[in-house]
Amino acid sequence: MKSFKHIDAASVEEAVSLLQESEGPAYVIAGGSDLLGCLKDNLWMEYPKAIVNLKTIPGLDTISVDEDGLHIGALVTLTKIAESETVKEFWPGLAEAARRTASPLLRNIGTIAGNICQENRCWYYRYPDKIGGRIDCVRKGGKRCLAVPGDHRYHSIFGAVNKCIAVNPSDTAPALIALDATIKTTKRTIPIDEFFSAGMGAQSTTLDRDEIVTEILVPRPAQEWTNAFRKIAFRKSIDFALVNCAAALTFADGKVTSARICLNGVHNNPRRCVESEAALIGKPLNEATAQEAGELAVAEAKPLLQNGFKVPMAKTIVIDTLMDCVK
Amino acid sequence: MTQNEKLTKLIQLTINGESRPLLVEAHWTLSKVLRNDCGHTGTKEACNEGACGSCTVLIDDIATPACMVLAIEQEGKNIETIEGLSKDGQLHPIQEAWLEEYGAQCGFCSPGMIMSTKGLLIKNANPTDDEIKEALGGNLCICSNYEHIINAVRSAARKMSKEQANV
Repeated sequence: MKSFKHIDAASVEEAVSLLQESEGPAYVIAGGSDLLGCLKDNLWMEYPKAIVNLKTIPGLDTISVDEDGLHIGALVTLTKIAESETVKEFWPGLAEAARRTASPLLRNIGTIAGNICQENRCWYYRYPDKIGGRIDCVRKGGKRCLAVPGDHRYHSIFGAVNKCIAVNPSDTAPALIALDATIKTTKRTIPIDEFFSAGMGAQSTTLDRDEIVTEILVPRPAQEWTNAFRKIAFRKSIDFALVNCAAALTFADGKVTSARICLNGVHNNPRRCVESEAALIGKPLNEATAQEAGELAVAEAKPLLQNGFKVPMAKTIVIDTLMDCVK
Repeated sequence: MTQNEKLTKLIQLTINGESRPLLVEAHWTLSKVLRNDCGHTGTKEACNEGACGSCTVLIDDIATPACMVLAIEQEGKNIETIEGLSKDGQLHPIQEAWLEEYGAQCGFCSPGMIMSTKGLLIKNANPTDDEIKEALGGNLCICSNYEHIINAVRSAARKMSKEQANV
Protein backbone atom coordinates (compact mmCIF):
# COMPACT_ATOMS: atom_id res chain seq x y z
CA MET A 1 0.00 0.00 0.00
CA LYS A 2 1.09 3.55 -0.67
CA SER A 3 0.78 6.26 1.92
CA PHE A 4 -2.28 8.34 2.67
CA LYS A 5 -3.48 10.67 5.37
CA HIS A 6 -5.60 8.97 8.05
CA ILE A 7 -8.18 11.04 9.87
CA ASP A 8 -10.42 9.89 12.73
CA ALA A 9 -13.90 11.38 12.37
CA ALA A 10 -15.68 12.28 15.62
CA SER A 11 -19.14 12.57 14.06
CA VAL A 12 -20.96 11.72 10.83
CA GLU A 13 -21.12 15.43 9.95
CA GLU A 14 -17.38 15.75 10.41
CA ALA A 15 -16.77 12.70 8.22
CA VAL A 16 -18.89 14.22 5.42
CA SER A 17 -17.09 17.56 5.59
CA LEU A 18 -13.72 15.79 5.60
CA LEU A 19 -14.75 13.99 2.40
CA GLN A 20 -15.92 17.26 0.82
CA GLU A 21 -12.93 19.33 1.86
CA SER A 22 -10.20 16.81 1.07
CA GLU A 23 -7.66 18.14 -1.41
CA GLY A 24 -7.48 14.86 -3.29
CA PRO A 25 -9.65 11.76 -3.50
CA ALA A 26 -10.90 10.68 -0.07
CA TYR A 27 -12.52 7.44 1.03
CA VAL A 28 -14.10 6.27 4.25
CA ILE A 29 -12.91 3.22 6.15
CA ALA A 30 -15.13 1.09 8.37
CA GLY A 31 -14.10 -2.57 8.63
CA GLY A 32 -11.60 -1.99 5.84
CA SER A 33 -11.58 -5.53 4.48
CA ASP A 34 -12.70 -4.41 1.01
CA LEU A 35 -10.96 -1.02 1.00
CA LEU A 36 -7.53 -2.30 2.08
CA GLY A 37 -7.74 -5.07 -0.52
CA CYS A 38 -8.38 -2.47 -3.25
CA LEU A 39 -5.59 -0.22 -1.97
CA LYS A 40 -3.06 -3.06 -1.67
CA ASP A 41 -3.72 -4.03 -5.27
CA ASN A 42 -3.72 -0.35 -6.33
CA LEU A 43 -6.84 -0.89 -8.42
CA TRP A 44 -8.06 2.62 -8.90
CA MET A 45 -6.85 5.34 -11.23
CA GLU A 46 -6.84 7.80 -8.32
CA TYR A 47 -5.14 6.60 -5.16
CA PRO A 48 -6.75 8.25 -2.12
CA LYS A 49 -5.04 11.22 -0.49
CA ALA A 50 -7.07 10.74 2.68
CA ILE A 51 -8.86 7.94 4.50
CA VAL A 52 -11.59 8.97 6.94
CA ASN A 53 -12.07 6.53 9.81
CA LEU A 54 -15.73 6.02 10.74
CA LYS A 55 -15.02 3.63 13.65
CA THR A 56 -14.36 6.58 15.95
CA ILE A 57 -17.94 7.85 15.49
CA PRO A 58 -20.06 6.77 18.47
CA GLY A 59 -23.48 5.17 18.04
CA LEU A 60 -23.11 3.59 14.60
CA ASP A 61 -22.55 0.04 15.88
CA THR A 62 -25.83 -0.83 17.58
CA ILE A 63 -28.76 -3.09 16.69
CA SER A 64 -32.18 -2.10 18.02
CA VAL A 65 -35.80 -3.07 17.42
CA ASP A 66 -38.82 -0.77 17.64
CA GLU A 67 -42.30 -0.61 16.02
CA ASP A 68 -40.74 0.29 12.64
CA GLY A 69 -38.55 -2.80 12.64
CA LEU A 70 -34.89 -3.63 12.95
CA HIS A 71 -32.43 -0.73 13.01
CA ILE A 72 -28.90 -1.81 12.16
CA GLY A 73 -26.15 0.77 12.53
CA ALA A 74 -23.84 1.00 9.53
CA LEU A 75 -20.83 -0.20 11.55
CA VAL A 76 -22.48 -3.31 13.02
CA THR A 77 -20.21 -6.24 12.19
CA LEU A 78 -21.47 -9.25 10.28
CA THR A 79 -20.58 -11.45 13.28
CA LYS A 80 -22.88 -9.38 15.48
CA ILE A 81 -25.78 -9.74 13.01
CA ALA A 82 -25.16 -13.46 12.55
CA GLU A 83 -25.15 -14.03 16.33
CA SER A 84 -28.02 -11.69 17.27
CA GLU A 85 -30.87 -13.72 18.78
CA THR A 86 -33.44 -11.13 17.59
CA VAL A 87 -32.20 -11.21 14.02
CA LYS A 88 -32.04 -15.01 14.03
CA GLU A 89 -35.62 -15.27 15.31
CA PHE A 90 -37.42 -12.76 13.08
CA TRP A 91 -35.07 -12.19 10.15
CA PRO A 92 -33.38 -15.59 9.74
CA GLY A 93 -32.62 -14.85 6.08
CA LEU A 94 -30.49 -11.89 7.08
CA ALA A 95 -28.76 -13.74 9.94
CA GLU A 96 -27.92 -16.62 7.60
CA ALA A 97 -26.64 -14.24 4.89
CA ALA A 98 -24.36 -12.57 7.44
CA ARG A 99 -23.23 -15.96 8.76
CA ARG A 100 -22.34 -17.21 5.28
CA THR A 101 -20.34 -14.10 4.30
CA ALA A 102 -16.57 -14.54 3.94
CA SER A 103 -14.84 -16.18 6.93
CA PRO A 104 -15.34 -15.74 10.69
CA LEU A 105 -12.23 -13.54 10.86
CA LEU A 106 -13.47 -11.19 8.15
CA ARG A 107 -16.97 -11.17 9.66
CA ASN A 108 -15.39 -9.97 12.90
CA ILE A 109 -14.18 -6.80 11.17
CA GLY A 110 -16.50 -6.47 8.15
CA THR A 111 -19.58 -4.27 8.56
CA ILE A 112 -23.07 -4.56 7.10
CA ALA A 113 -22.80 -1.23 5.24
CA GLY A 114 -19.41 -2.24 3.86
CA ASN A 115 -20.85 -5.53 2.70
CA ILE A 116 -23.55 -3.88 0.60
CA CYS A 117 -21.18 -1.17 -0.72
CA GLN A 118 -18.37 -3.56 -1.64
CA GLU A 119 -16.82 -3.69 -5.06
CA ASN A 120 -17.10 -6.54 -7.52
CA ARG A 121 -14.54 -9.37 -7.49
CA CYS A 122 -13.99 -9.74 -11.25
CA TRP A 123 -10.45 -11.05 -11.62
CA TYR A 124 -9.65 -8.69 -14.46
CA TYR A 125 -10.94 -5.67 -12.57
CA ARG A 126 -9.17 -6.80 -9.38
CA TYR A 127 -5.92 -7.75 -11.08
CA PRO A 128 -3.15 -6.49 -8.77
CA ASP A 129 -0.99 -3.63 -9.99
CA LYS A 130 2.14 -5.22 -8.50
CA ILE A 131 2.02 -8.22 -10.84
CA GLY A 132 2.69 -6.73 -14.24
CA GLY A 133 0.51 -3.66 -13.85
CA ARG A 134 -3.23 -3.17 -13.41
CA ILE A 135 -5.58 -4.20 -16.17
CA ASP A 136 -7.56 -1.29 -17.57
CA CYS A 137 -10.83 -3.02 -18.25
CA VAL A 138 -13.93 -1.22 -19.48
CA ARG A 139 -14.87 -0.37 -15.92
CA LYS A 140 -11.59 1.45 -15.45
CA GLY A 141 -11.90 3.47 -18.64
CA GLY A 142 -10.47 0.86 -21.00
CA LYS A 143 -11.97 0.00 -24.38
CA ARG A 144 -13.39 -3.43 -23.63
CA CYS A 145 -14.33 -5.95 -21.00
CA LEU A 146 -11.63 -8.60 -20.86
CA ALA A 147 -13.90 -11.17 -19.28
CA VAL A 148 -16.14 -11.44 -22.37
CA PRO A 149 -13.43 -12.93 -24.63
CA GLY A 150 -11.49 -14.23 -21.61
CA ASP A 151 -12.35 -16.35 -18.57
CA HIS A 152 -15.88 -15.50 -17.48
CA ARG A 153 -16.90 -18.70 -15.73
CA TYR A 154 -18.21 -16.84 -12.65
CA HIS A 155 -19.54 -13.75 -14.44
CA SER A 156 -22.99 -12.40 -15.26
CA ILE A 157 -25.65 -14.62 -16.78
CA PHE A 158 -28.00 -11.69 -17.33
CA GLY A 159 -25.93 -9.55 -19.67
CA ALA A 160 -23.72 -6.52 -19.13
CA VAL A 161 -24.04 -3.08 -17.58
CA ASN A 162 -21.91 -0.50 -19.42
CA LYS A 163 -20.24 -3.47 -21.19
CA CYS A 164 -19.03 -4.87 -17.81
CA ILE A 165 -20.12 -8.41 -16.90
CA ALA A 166 -18.84 -8.53 -13.32
CA VAL A 167 -21.30 -9.66 -10.65
CA ASN A 168 -22.29 -8.13 -7.35
CA PRO A 169 -20.67 -10.44 -4.76
CA SER A 170 -22.59 -9.40 -1.62
CA ASP A 171 -24.41 -12.00 0.48
CA THR A 172 -26.36 -9.56 2.64
CA ALA A 173 -27.55 -7.49 -0.35
CA PRO A 174 -30.11 -10.05 -1.63
CA ALA A 175 -31.27 -10.67 1.96
CA LEU A 176 -31.87 -6.96 2.53
CA ILE A 177 -33.61 -6.65 -0.87
CA ALA A 178 -35.93 -9.58 -0.09
CA LEU A 179 -36.68 -8.00 3.29
CA ASP A 180 -37.44 -4.63 1.60
CA ALA A 181 -34.93 -2.72 3.73
CA THR A 182 -34.34 1.01 3.62
CA ILE A 183 -30.89 2.58 3.59
CA LYS A 184 -30.45 5.77 5.59
CA THR A 185 -27.56 7.97 4.53
CA THR A 186 -26.22 11.36 5.49
CA LYS A 187 -28.29 12.89 2.66
CA ARG A 188 -31.45 10.88 2.22
CA THR A 189 -33.36 7.67 2.70
CA ILE A 190 -32.98 5.20 -0.18
CA PRO A 191 -35.32 2.22 -0.76
CA ILE A 192 -33.06 -0.80 -1.21
CA ASP A 193 -34.43 -1.42 -4.73
CA GLU A 194 -32.86 1.90 -5.79
CA PHE A 195 -29.61 1.46 -3.86
CA PHE A 196 -27.55 -0.74 -6.16
CA SER A 197 -26.29 0.75 -9.40
CA ALA A 198 -23.09 -0.59 -10.90
CA GLY A 199 -21.23 2.07 -12.81
CA MET A 200 -17.72 2.96 -13.80
CA GLY A 201 -14.72 2.39 -11.55
CA ALA A 202 -15.45 1.74 -7.92
CA GLN A 203 -19.13 2.65 -8.18
CA SER A 204 -21.50 -0.12 -7.12
CA THR A 205 -24.29 1.93 -5.52
CA THR A 206 -26.21 5.18 -6.07
CA LEU A 207 -24.30 6.83 -3.21
CA ASP A 208 -22.57 10.14 -3.94
CA ARG A 209 -18.86 10.48 -3.20
CA ASP A 210 -19.59 12.51 -0.06
CA GLU A 211 -22.49 10.37 1.15
CA ILE A 212 -22.20 7.84 3.98
CA VAL A 213 -24.60 5.04 4.94
CA THR A 214 -25.58 5.54 8.57
CA GLU A 215 -28.31 2.97 9.19
CA ILE A 216 -30.23 0.12 7.62
CA LEU A 217 -33.87 -0.30 8.54
CA VAL A 218 -35.48 -3.71 8.01
CA PRO A 219 -39.27 -3.60 8.40
CA ARG A 220 -41.03 -5.70 11.01
CA PRO A 221 -42.49 -9.03 9.93
CA ALA A 222 -46.22 -9.18 9.32
CA GLN A 223 -48.32 -11.85 11.03
CA GLU A 224 -47.69 -14.81 8.79
CA TRP A 225 -44.26 -14.28 7.34
CA THR A 226 -41.18 -16.26 6.46
CA ASN A 227 -37.80 -15.47 4.99
CA ALA A 228 -34.76 -17.49 4.05
CA PHE A 229 -31.33 -17.27 2.45
CA ARG A 230 -29.19 -19.79 0.60
CA LYS A 231 -25.73 -19.63 -0.91
CA ILE A 232 -23.79 -21.88 -3.22
CA ALA A 233 -20.01 -21.50 -3.12
CA PHE A 234 -17.07 -23.85 -3.60
CA ARG A 235 -16.14 -23.89 0.07
CA LYS A 236 -18.44 -23.37 3.06
CA SER A 237 -16.20 -20.60 4.28
CA ILE A 238 -14.34 -17.70 2.64
CA ASP A 239 -15.56 -18.09 -0.94
CA PHE A 240 -17.82 -15.60 -2.63
CA ALA A 241 -21.12 -16.99 -3.86
CA LEU A 242 -21.43 -18.62 -7.26
CA VAL A 243 -25.09 -17.76 -6.79
CA ASN A 244 -27.05 -16.85 -3.70
CA CYS A 245 -30.72 -16.20 -3.14
CA ALA A 246 -32.98 -14.67 -0.51
CA ALA A 247 -36.75 -14.76 -0.31
CA ALA A 248 -39.36 -13.21 1.97
CA LEU A 249 -43.05 -14.12 1.72
CA THR A 250 -46.25 -13.23 3.50
CA PHE A 251 -49.22 -15.58 3.68
CA ALA A 252 -52.95 -15.43 4.32
CA ASP A 253 -55.15 -18.54 4.43
CA GLY A 254 -52.27 -20.68 3.22
CA LYS A 255 -51.77 -18.56 0.11
CA VAL A 256 -48.93 -16.22 -0.77
CA THR A 257 -50.01 -12.57 -0.47
CA SER A 258 -46.67 -10.96 -1.23
CA ALA A 259 -43.28 -12.22 -2.29
CA ARG A 260 -39.84 -10.70 -2.70
CA ILE A 261 -37.13 -12.92 -4.19
CA CYS A 262 -33.63 -11.79 -5.03
CA LEU A 263 -30.73 -13.57 -6.71
CA ASN A 264 -27.15 -12.34 -6.47
CA GLY A 265 -23.89 -13.31 -8.07
CA VAL A 266 -25.73 -13.45 -11.40
CA HIS A 267 -25.56 -9.86 -12.64
CA ASN A 268 -23.82 -6.51 -12.07
CA ASN A 269 -26.52 -5.61 -9.56
CA PRO A 270 -28.53 -7.94 -7.31
CA ARG A 271 -31.45 -9.20 -9.39
CA ARG A 272 -35.04 -9.21 -8.15
CA CYS A 273 -37.03 -12.09 -9.64
CA VAL A 274 -40.19 -10.08 -10.32
CA GLU A 275 -41.79 -12.64 -12.65
CA SER A 276 -41.32 -15.39 -10.07
CA GLU A 277 -42.78 -13.15 -7.39
CA ALA A 278 -45.85 -12.33 -9.48
CA ALA A 279 -46.41 -16.00 -10.31
CA LEU A 280 -46.57 -16.92 -6.62
CA ILE A 281 -49.22 -14.39 -5.55
CA GLY A 282 -52.54 -15.99 -4.65
CA LYS A 283 -51.15 -19.51 -4.77
CA PRO A 284 -50.07 -21.85 -2.01
CA LEU A 285 -46.32 -22.32 -1.70
CA ASN A 286 -45.43 -25.89 -2.61
CA GLU A 287 -43.03 -27.82 -4.81
CA ALA A 288 -45.03 -27.13 -7.98
CA THR A 289 -45.31 -23.36 -7.48
CA ALA A 290 -41.68 -23.10 -6.32
CA GLN A 291 -40.61 -24.99 -9.45
CA GLU A 292 -42.54 -22.55 -11.63
CA ALA A 293 -40.99 -19.58 -9.82
CA GLY A 294 -37.51 -21.08 -10.26
CA GLU A 295 -38.02 -21.52 -13.98
CA LEU A 296 -39.32 -17.96 -14.38
CA ALA A 297 -36.31 -16.60 -12.44
CA VAL A 298 -33.91 -17.76 -15.16
CA ALA A 299 -36.23 -17.44 -18.17
CA GLU A 300 -34.34 -14.38 -19.38
CA ALA A 301 -30.86 -15.71 -18.63
CA LYS A 302 -28.27 -15.16 -21.36
CA PRO A 303 -25.26 -17.18 -20.24
CA LEU A 304 -21.91 -16.87 -22.00
CA LEU A 305 -19.72 -19.72 -23.21
CA GLN A 306 -18.32 -20.77 -19.84
CA ASN A 307 -20.95 -19.84 -17.27
CA GLY A 308 -23.99 -21.77 -18.47
CA PHE A 309 -23.76 -23.94 -15.33
CA LYS A 310 -24.94 -20.99 -13.28
CA VAL A 311 -28.39 -21.01 -14.94
CA PRO A 312 -29.65 -24.34 -13.51
CA MET A 313 -27.82 -23.45 -10.31
CA ALA A 314 -29.77 -20.17 -10.04
CA LYS A 315 -33.04 -21.95 -10.82
CA THR A 316 -32.40 -24.59 -8.17
CA ILE A 317 -31.39 -22.11 -5.51
CA VAL A 318 -34.60 -20.12 -6.06
CA ILE A 319 -36.65 -23.32 -5.66
CA ASP A 320 -34.70 -24.42 -2.56
CA THR A 321 -34.88 -20.99 -0.92
CA LEU A 322 -38.64 -20.85 -1.52
CA MET A 323 -39.04 -24.35 -0.05
CA ASP A 324 -37.14 -23.13 3.02
CA CYS A 325 -39.93 -20.55 3.37
CA VAL A 326 -42.63 -23.24 3.61
CA LYS A 327 -43.86 -23.16 7.18
CA MET B 1 9.77 16.60 5.27
CA THR B 2 6.40 18.21 5.80
CA GLN B 3 4.50 15.48 4.03
CA ASN B 4 5.98 12.90 6.36
CA GLU B 5 4.88 14.85 9.39
CA LYS B 6 1.35 14.56 8.17
CA LEU B 7 1.48 10.86 7.38
CA THR B 8 3.30 9.42 10.39
CA LYS B 9 1.94 9.34 13.88
CA LEU B 10 3.31 8.33 17.25
CA ILE B 11 0.93 5.82 18.73
CA GLN B 12 0.85 3.69 21.84
CA LEU B 13 0.15 0.02 21.11
CA THR B 14 -0.66 -2.50 23.82
CA ILE B 15 0.73 -5.85 22.70
CA ASN B 16 0.47 -8.84 25.03
CA GLY B 17 -0.21 -6.53 27.95
CA GLU B 18 2.83 -4.36 27.29
CA SER B 19 2.34 -0.81 26.11
CA ARG B 20 4.93 0.56 23.72
CA PRO B 21 5.29 3.75 21.67
CA LEU B 22 5.59 3.27 17.91
CA LEU B 23 6.02 5.68 15.04
CA VAL B 24 3.73 4.37 12.31
CA GLU B 25 2.68 5.46 8.88
CA ALA B 26 -1.07 5.59 8.27
CA HIS B 27 -1.06 2.84 5.65
CA TRP B 28 0.87 0.27 7.69
CA THR B 29 -1.12 -2.80 8.53
CA LEU B 30 -1.00 -4.29 12.00
CA SER B 31 0.70 -7.46 10.73
CA LYS B 32 3.49 -5.42 9.14
CA VAL B 33 4.02 -3.42 12.34
CA LEU B 34 3.97 -6.55 14.52
CA ARG B 35 6.51 -8.31 12.34
CA ASN B 36 8.80 -5.47 11.25
CA ASP B 37 8.67 -3.05 14.16
CA CYS B 38 7.87 -5.20 17.19
CA GLY B 39 9.77 -8.37 16.32
CA HIS B 40 6.65 -10.48 16.77
CA THR B 41 7.28 -12.67 13.75
CA GLY B 42 5.02 -15.41 15.13
CA THR B 43 2.24 -13.55 13.35
CA LYS B 44 2.64 -14.85 9.81
CA GLU B 45 1.80 -13.06 6.59
CA ALA B 46 0.82 -15.27 3.69
CA CYS B 47 -2.03 -14.13 1.46
CA ASN B 48 -2.03 -10.56 2.75
CA GLU B 49 -5.71 -10.19 1.82
CA GLY B 50 -7.55 -11.68 4.77
CA ALA B 51 -8.25 -15.03 3.13
CA CYS B 52 -5.80 -17.40 4.86
CA GLY B 53 -5.89 -16.48 8.56
CA SER B 54 -2.16 -17.01 9.19
CA CYS B 55 -1.88 -13.46 10.58
CA THR B 56 -4.72 -13.92 13.09
CA VAL B 57 -4.32 -12.03 16.37
CA LEU B 58 -6.80 -11.21 19.10
CA ILE B 59 -7.87 -7.59 19.34
CA ASP B 60 -9.90 -7.07 22.50
CA ASP B 61 -10.46 -10.86 22.53
CA ILE B 62 -11.81 -10.93 18.96
CA ALA B 63 -9.94 -13.00 16.36
CA THR B 64 -8.86 -10.56 13.64
CA PRO B 65 -6.78 -10.87 10.48
CA ALA B 66 -3.91 -8.48 11.29
CA CYS B 67 -3.13 -7.91 7.60
CA MET B 68 -6.54 -6.32 7.03
CA VAL B 69 -6.52 -3.73 9.82
CA LEU B 70 -4.44 -0.57 10.07
CA ALA B 71 -2.02 -0.32 12.98
CA ILE B 72 -2.88 3.36 13.45
CA GLU B 73 -6.46 2.41 14.38
CA GLN B 74 -5.43 -0.01 17.16
CA GLU B 75 -4.49 2.52 19.83
CA GLY B 76 -6.10 1.76 23.17
CA LYS B 77 -6.90 -1.81 22.17
CA ASN B 78 -5.52 -4.96 23.67
CA ILE B 79 -3.60 -6.88 21.02
CA GLU B 80 -2.64 -10.46 21.76
CA THR B 81 -0.26 -12.42 19.56
CA ILE B 82 1.05 -15.99 19.71
CA GLU B 83 4.09 -14.69 21.64
CA GLY B 84 1.82 -13.70 24.52
CA LEU B 85 0.36 -17.13 25.15
CA SER B 86 3.06 -18.95 27.13
CA LYS B 87 3.73 -17.59 30.62
CA ASP B 88 7.01 -18.11 32.58
CA GLY B 89 8.18 -20.87 30.27
CA GLN B 90 4.85 -22.71 30.60
CA LEU B 91 2.96 -23.38 27.39
CA HIS B 92 -0.65 -22.27 27.16
CA PRO B 93 -3.12 -25.22 27.25
CA ILE B 94 -3.95 -24.63 23.58
CA GLN B 95 -0.26 -24.88 22.69
CA GLU B 96 0.08 -28.05 24.81
CA ALA B 97 -2.92 -29.54 23.03
CA TRP B 98 -1.33 -28.62 19.70
CA LEU B 99 1.82 -30.56 20.64
CA GLU B 100 -0.01 -33.58 22.00
CA GLU B 101 -2.47 -33.88 19.11
CA TYR B 102 0.06 -33.13 16.35
CA GLY B 103 -1.79 -29.92 15.44
CA ALA B 104 1.25 -28.71 13.49
CA GLN B 105 2.79 -30.31 10.44
CA CYS B 106 4.90 -27.60 8.83
CA GLY B 107 3.61 -25.24 11.53
CA PHE B 108 3.15 -22.13 9.41
CA CYS B 109 -0.60 -21.90 10.02
CA SER B 110 -0.36 -22.82 13.72
CA PRO B 111 -0.01 -19.31 15.21
CA GLY B 112 -3.12 -18.17 13.34
CA MET B 113 -5.01 -21.38 14.09
CA ILE B 114 -4.13 -21.14 17.78
CA MET B 115 -5.20 -17.50 18.02
CA SER B 116 -8.49 -18.31 16.24
CA THR B 117 -8.95 -21.20 18.68
CA LYS B 118 -8.37 -18.88 21.64
CA GLY B 119 -10.93 -16.44 20.19
CA LEU B 120 -13.43 -19.29 19.87
CA LEU B 121 -12.83 -20.67 23.39
CA ILE B 122 -13.26 -17.20 24.93
CA LYS B 123 -16.73 -16.99 23.36
CA ASN B 124 -17.64 -20.65 23.67
CA ALA B 125 -15.78 -22.79 26.22
CA ASN B 126 -17.30 -26.05 25.03
CA PRO B 127 -17.71 -25.94 21.25
CA THR B 128 -19.21 -28.72 19.15
CA ASP B 129 -17.28 -30.08 16.16
CA ASP B 130 -19.41 -27.98 13.81
CA GLU B 131 -18.73 -24.87 15.86
CA ILE B 132 -14.98 -25.61 15.77
CA LYS B 133 -15.09 -26.07 12.00
CA GLU B 134 -17.04 -22.86 11.54
CA ALA B 135 -14.75 -20.85 13.84
CA LEU B 136 -11.62 -22.05 12.04
CA GLY B 137 -13.22 -21.50 8.63
CA GLY B 138 -11.00 -18.49 8.02
CA ASN B 139 -7.73 -20.33 8.65
CA LEU B 140 -6.14 -22.40 5.92
CA CYS B 141 -3.67 -25.23 6.51
CA ILE B 142 -1.66 -25.97 3.40
CA CYS B 143 -0.63 -29.39 4.83
CA SER B 144 -4.36 -30.16 5.15
CA ASN B 145 -3.84 -31.23 8.77
CA TYR B 146 -7.41 -30.33 9.66
CA GLU B 147 -8.35 -33.55 11.46
CA HIS B 148 -5.47 -33.16 13.92
CA ILE B 149 -6.19 -29.46 14.33
CA ILE B 150 -9.82 -30.15 15.23
CA ASN B 151 -8.66 -32.81 17.72
CA ALA B 152 -6.27 -30.26 19.21
CA VAL B 153 -9.06 -27.69 19.63
CA ARG B 154 -11.27 -30.29 21.33
CA SER B 155 -8.43 -31.26 23.65
CA ALA B 156 -7.64 -27.59 24.37
CA ALA B 157 -11.27 -26.95 25.31
CA ARG B 158 -11.17 -29.89 27.75
CA LYS B 159 -7.86 -28.75 29.26
CA MET B 160 -9.08 -25.19 29.71
CA SER B 161 -12.40 -26.13 31.31
CA LYS B 162 -10.53 -28.49 33.68
CA GLU B 163 -8.22 -25.62 34.59
CA GLN B 164 -11.21 -23.37 35.12
CA ALA B 165 -12.78 -25.97 37.44
CA ASN B 166 -9.57 -26.22 39.50
CA VAL B 167 -9.30 -22.46 40.11
